[in-house]
Amino acid sequence: MSENISNNNKIVLPIGPQHPSLDEPGRFDITLEGEKVVNAVVGVGYNHRGLEKVCESKNYIQDLYIIERVCGICSHSHSTAFCMAVEELAGVTVPQRAEYIRVVVAELERLHSHLLWLGVACHEIGFDTMFMYTWRDREKVLDVLATVGGNRVNYGINTIGGVRRDFNETINSEILKTVDSLEEDIKRYLEIAMTETTLISRLKSKGKLSHEDALKYGAVGPVARAAGIAIDIRVTEPYGAYKEIPVNVITDTNEDVYGRTAVRILEMQESINIIRYCINNMPEGTLTVKVPRRIPAGEVIVRVEAPRGEDIHYLRSNGTDIPDRVRVRAPTEANWHGMKHMLKGGNLADVPITIAAIDPCYSCTDRAIVISSEKNTEVMDWRGLRRYGIDWYKKQNIDLTSLKIKEV
Amino acid sequence: MNREEAIVNSICGRFPFLADRIYIQKDKRIFTKSLLREEFEQVIAYVHDELNFTRVSHVVGTDDGENLGLLYIFSGSEDILLILRESVPKSNPVIKSISDMYPSIVLHERELVDLFGVVVEGLPEGPHYPLPDGWPEGNYPMRKEWNPKHFNKDTMTYEEPQEKEVQKNE
Amino acid sequence: MIEFLKILCKLFIFPGFLFLSVYSFLLDFLDRKLYARMQNRVGPPWYQPLADFLKLIGKKTIIPADANAVIFSVMPLVSLAAVTVGFIYLPVLGKEAIFSFSGDFVIVLYLLAIPPLAAFLAGWYSRAVYSTIGATRILTQMFAYEVPLFISVLAPTLIAGTWSITELTGFYAAHPLYIFINLPVAITALISFQCKLERAPFDSPEAETEIVSGALVEYSGRLLAFFKLAHNCELLFVISLFSAIYLPFMTGIIWVDFILYIVKTLFILLLLILMRVTMARIEINNTLNFCWKYLAPVTLGQVILNLLLRGVL
Repeated sequence: MSENISNNNKIVLPIGPQHPSLDEPGRFDITLEGEKVVNAVVGVGYNHRGLEKVCESKNYIQDLYIIERVCGICSHSHSTAFCMAVEELAGVTVPQRAEYIRVVVAELERLHSHLLWLGVACHEIGFDTMFMYTWRDREKVLDVLATVGGNRVNYGINTIGGVRRDFNETINSEILKTVDSLEEDIKRYLEIAMTETTLISRLKSKGKLSHEDALKYGAVGPVARAAGIAIDIRVTEPYGAYKEIPVNVITDTNEDVYGRTAVRILEMQESINIIRYCINNMPEGTLTVKVPRRIPAGEVIVRVEAPRGEDIHYLRSNGTDIPDRVRVRAPTEANWHGMKHMLKGGNLADVPITIAAIDPCYSCTDRAIVISSEKNTEVMDWRGLRRYGIDWYKKQNIDLTSLKIKEV
Repeated sequence: MNREEAIVNSICGRFPFLADRIYIQKDKRIFTKSLLREEFEQVIAYVHDELNFTRVSHVVGTDDGENLGLLYIFSGSEDILLILRESVPKSNPVIKSISDMYPSIVLHERELVDLFGVVVEGLPEGPHYPLPDGWPEGNYPMRKEWNPKHFNKDTMTYEEPQEKEVQKNE
Repeated sequence: MIEFLKILCKLFIFPGFLFLSVYSFLLDFLDRKLYARMQNRVGPPWYQPLADFLKLIGKKTIIPADANAVIFSVMPLVSLAAVTVGFIYLPVLGKEAIFSFSGDFVIVLYLLAIPPLAAFLAGWYSRAVYSTIGATRILTQMFAYEVPLFISVLAPTLIAGTWSITELTGFYAAHPLYIFINLPVAITALISFQCKLERAPFDSPEAETEIVSGALVEYSGRLLAFFKLAHNCELLFVISLFSAIYLPFMTGIIWVDFILYIVKTLFILLLLILMRVTMARIEINNTLNFCWKYLAPVTLGQVILNLLLRGVL
C-alpha cells in the first residue's frame, strides 16, 4: 500500500471496488492533498452482464423479463420503456386502465427509490438515525408493491400490450392508506432537512454542478433539476397516462447535494399527489391488447422518466420475434460524466455523499454479458439447472429422480 | 410548420445533399440515414454550434452485417431528439471522437471500442469500459458473429468451431 | 499482608480492573441498545459486547507486512494500560479513589491523552492508506478538543483550590451549590468528551463511509479486541471523570454513593447517546472550527469567572 503515498504528499485513495460507502462495485481513485481532492478517476464496468447481447437471442416476451432485471430499483421504468418501444413498433394502443396502473406502480417505485436514496445519503454523511427511519418507512412502500405485484422489487407488472395485474378496491385503499402515512413522514424529513444544522453543513455547496456544467455533461434527473434545468420526461415528452395527469416539475437552484436532496424529497410529495389522482380517476376497462409475436421491422427510441432521471431505450426490430438490437441508456450512465468535475476541489469527507448524490446504479450503467471472468461459473438452462439440483440432492443422499416434473 | 420541420429545413438548407436522407419519424424524433465521415463532421459542427443541440444523450452501436452503424442521439433545449447515423465498414472501423465538442460522450465511445471494436481516434486515455482488464484482443461481444457459447471463460479464449453446419442445427 | 491483599483486590477486582472491564462492557451494551432503540431497531442482546470480545480473541491476528510489527502489537496494550491506570485515581466507591495524591489530576489528564495517541501511532505504523488518513485525522481532532477539554476540566479546580480529584470531589460534595457555577464548562466538557471518544457527530477519524474504519483498519483478532476493550474502558473512564468533577453529589454512605455513581454514569451515557443519535457526522475542519470558535471561548470565560469568584467565595 505504500506505493499509494508518493513523495509530494499526495495520497491516492482507492474507494472501491469494495468499500463501505458503495452499495455496488465501482472504483474511484481519489488523489488527495491533505483532505483536499485534487483528482478523481472514475472506473465503472464491474457489473457488466451482457444483457443486451442476451436480448438479441431471445424473443420479445423473454426480453421483457431480462430488461426488468437491468436494475433492481428502477426495474419498472426499464420494463415500461421496453414495452412502450415494442408497442410502438407493433402499432398497438395500450388500454387506458393499463396506462394508469403503470403510472401508479412507477410512482410507487419513485417513492421507494427516493426513500432508499435518502437513507443511503444520510448513511454517507454519518447520520444513521435518519437512515434507519427512512428505510423503515420505505418498507411501507415495498409492502404495497408486494401486494400489487407479488414481489418487492421486480414486480412484473408490465407485459407487452398492457399490464398483468389489476387493481381492486382492497389494493386501492391500501395504496391510499400508505401514501397518507408516507405524506406525514415526508413532511418530517423535509423539516429535518431544512433545520438540522449538521445535516445542512454536510450537504450545502458540496458536489457543485452548475447549470452550464450540468448541460455540458448531460446530467439528467434530480441532478439536472437541482441545477435549475426543468427537464422531466413526464412533462417535456409525456407518455402513457402522464398525458392526462398533472405533474409539476420540481427544480431547485442550489446546484449542490442539498438541492438534490430537496428535489427528491419534494418529488416524493409530487408522486403521492400523482398516485392519489390516478387511483381516484382510474378508468375502467381491459388490461391488455393482443400484440403479435412478430414485430414489424423498424426502429424506435423511447424516453421514460425513471426515479434517477431520463431512461432511453433504443429498439430495432427486423420483422422476426427476436429484436435486432436493444440498447438501454440508464440515467446513471448520463450522470457519470460530471462526477469527476463534482469531486474535484471538495474534501475527502464529501466524496461519498457526492458519489451517492447522483443516486448511482452501477448495474444500470453496466447492464449486462453472460461471460464472467470468475472461475466455476456457468450459464445453465432450465434442464441443466434441474439436473444440477437432482445431482446436488443425490450427494446429500436424497433421490429426486423419481419425481415427475413437467419438462419446459 | 412545426419545430421539427424547421430544424430539418435549416439542416437541408445548409447541407443540400442531406435532403433525401433526413426524415421526421414522429414527434420529437428526427433521424438521418447513414452519413459519410466527412459529412458527419460538418453536420455535427453545425448542429452543435448553430442549432444548439448541446447535449449528447447516447451513441448506439449496431451491427448491420458488413457495416457497423452508429447512432448519435443529440438533444438540445427544445427537447427534440436528433439522431445522426454514421456507418463504418467492419473491416476498417475508424471514427473520430467527438468528445472535444461533447465531453459526455467519452463513456459511450469507450463502450463502442470494447463491444464493437470501433477504433475511436482522439479518445482520451482511460480505463477499459465495460469489459474487464485482460479481455482478449479481437473479441467484440456485441458483433453478431461473436457467439458467447464459443468463449472459454477459463482460458479467456474464443474458439470458432470447425463445422459451422452443426452449430446452425443446434 | 492482609493490607497488601486488600490493595491488590481493590486494584484488580473492585473497583479496579475487573469492575472497569465488566461495567464498560455493560455500558457498551446499553450504548448500542439505546442507540438502536432510538433508531427504531431491535439492538443486540445483553451479552453481545462480551461475545464480540471473545470472538475477536479467538480470531487469527494478521500483522501487515509493511507495518512496524512491534508498535503495531504493543499499541493496544498501551491504550488499555493507560485507561486502567487512570481509572484508579477516580472515585468510584464513595468519595475516595483507590489511590490519590495531591497532583493526580495532571496524571489523569496525561493518561487521558494516551489512547488517541496510541491509536494514531497504530494507524500511522500500519502503513496503509486508510489508516494513514485516519491517523492524521485523530491527531487533527486532538488539536481541536484538547484545549477546550483541559480548560473545562481544570476550571472547577480553581474554586476548589486543589489538584487532586478526590479532594475536588470532596470539596464540591461539601458545597453542592458551587457545582452550578461550573455548568457552562460541564456542557463544553461533555461535548469535548464526545469529541475525544470519536463518537458521532465527531467520528470523522473513523468515518466508515470515507476511510473504512480509520486508523484501526488493519487490525484484527486479539489486537483489535484489546483496542475495542480499551475504547470501552475509555468511555467508562471519561464518564466517571465527568461525574467526579461535575456531578459530585454524595450522601456519605458508601454503598448509596456507589448506587448514585451508577445512576450518574448512566445519565451521562444517555446524554452522550442523545448527542450521537441526533446529528450527522461533522467534517474534520468544521470540528476544528467549532471547538476553537465556540468551545474554547466559553471555557476561557469560565476560567476568568472562577478566578474572580475564588476571591469572593
